[in-house]
This record gives sequence, C-alpha cells and structure tokens, in this order.
Amino acid sequence: MSSSLIPPESLARVGEILAGPVTVVIDRREAQRYAYAVGDENPVYFDESAAEAAGYRTITVPPLFVTHALVPPKPANMLREDGLYQDATSVHLEVSRMMFGGEEWDFVEPVCVGDEITATTRLADLDQKEGSKGPFVRLVRETTFVNQEEQLVARSRQIGIAR
Amino acid sequence: MSKYPTLASTNVGDQLPLMRKSANEAELFLYSAASFNPHRIHYDRAYAHHEGHQDTVVHGPLQGSWLTQFVTDWAGPNARLISIEWQNRASVFVDEEVQFSGTVVALDTLESIVELEIFEQKTDGTILMPAKAHVRLEER
Repeated sequence: MSSSLIPPESLARVGEILAGPVTVVIDRREAQRYAYAVGDENPVYFDESAAEAAGYRTITVPPLFVTHALVPPKPANMLREDGLYQDATSVHLEVSRMMFGGEEWDFVEPVCVGDEITATTRLADLDQKEGSKGPFVRLVRETTFVNQEEQLVARSRQIGIAR
Repeated sequence: MSKYPTLASTNVGDQLPLMRKSANEAELFLYSAASFNPHRIHYDRAYAHHEGHQDTVVHGPLQGSWLTQFVTDWAGPNARLISIEWQNRASVFVDEEVQFSGTVVALDTLESIVELEIFEQKTDGTILMPAKAHVRLEER
C-alpha cells in the first residue's frame, strides 16, 4: 500500500466551492470568435433566422463555449513561468504532475446570445487509485451553469489525473 | 427528405461520416486567444519541448469542440446534443491530422435519443480520445 498523495486538509475540501458563483452575459462576438477558432461554422451560431428555424430563441453558441465565456479576466502579473495563471483555488496534492483526464457534459437547456449565465465550480470528488504506473489521484471539478430563469442549462465534470 | 438523420431513419450500427481535422500554428494561437488560455505549450515550441512534448500541443478543449461539431454536423440543426464525454489518452501536436469516426450503438425510441460511440484517432490508428454522446433526433 503506497502512502497517501492526498493530504487530509485537501480531502476535507470535497464538496467545497472552488470558483464562483460568477455571472456573465453570453456575448455574440465572443461566441462567434470561438466558433471560428474551432472551425465550426454552423449557421445556428451566426444567423438568427437559421437559429430560429432550428427552434432556438435566437443565435445559440457552440456547446463548450459557455465554459470559456466564464473565464475571469486576470492581470498579467498573475502569470506563472508556464503561462498559466496562479490559481488560489488549486487543491494541494503530493504530486508532481497534473494532467487533463477528460470531460463529461450534460446539456439541459439551450444557451443563446444574451443569456445571463451563472457558473459555480465545486470539488466533486478526490480519490486515490492504483494504476499500472503507480498510484494516482483522480480529481473531479464539477461546474453547474444556470441561466437568468434559474434553469440549469449545463453541467460539466472535468477530470484531472495527478501523479 | 431531410439530409439529416431522424429517429425513424437511424439504426444501431449506422456509421457517422468521417471528419478530419488539424490545427496549424495560427489556428492554435487563435484558439488560445478565443478561450483566454495563455498556457505556453500551445504556442511556444521551445517551451513545449522543455515540458517534454515533441511539439506545440493542441488544446484538449479544442479537440472537445471538434468532437461536438462532429456530432452536430451529422445530427443537423434541429437535433439537440444531450450529453458528451471523452477521455484524453494521448496528445495531438501542431499540423498533425486527426480523424473522428462514430457509430450508433443504441436507440431510445421513447425519448428519441441515440447513443454514439466515437473515436478520435491519429492517421496510424492510435486512439487519442474515446468518447460517447447522446443526441435527441426528430422522430421522422
């Protein structure tokens, strides 16, 4: 049995809010920049009549855009050597490397331009496992996205693998 | 007849049309900007080498958005993406061509939802992202 990679004070944070609640209005230009940047020129992201014909209230946005719309602006003096921002909400683990393991998304209601979306991220799970290359930690950050009508529009679970 | 699948026209075992993607340096930079992601491994080749990568790295969420496009391009504008999930197995690098393939693996006729099994692969067949999606189609 290997020693724990998860300090007790980190384990105690399961369920805690890591970020938010933060609210933004979904901006048409930002969403369209995102759609062009991923090469997805679906008319429902650009043309109001195409979006309405497809049953949307107005122009909708690429499914994963909502997570980027909510990235808070930060000053350059918070940049680390690797280009990432210092993150006061990161969970302390006795590991040297954190990797993105994958994501799980549920889309409940459409997100359209002009919607006011509030996101809250929690530490949903922290679990040590034994892999073929030794012990690793599986960390799950769950974010809920709620609109101006207080409807849940989406839920994401980002899975981090640390070893 | 619509060029998009409906519940009535869809069968378990149906294959989605293949989609090929790659990102050059300018496209990686554009995605970094559009997603406000300043991580150097996505635009600074020397730094990517320093972190042990063979070249500039394609963002995981960019591949995630390619994946949602693969599904919504097949399903059409009147369909609704209900859920999607993927695992990151290996990295993709600048200018590297990847291919998305998918199969209908289940039909829920009560809810008009189809389940898709999807793979993002390198041209040599290496699996980059195994994925699963649920989409609600029009009935007919």
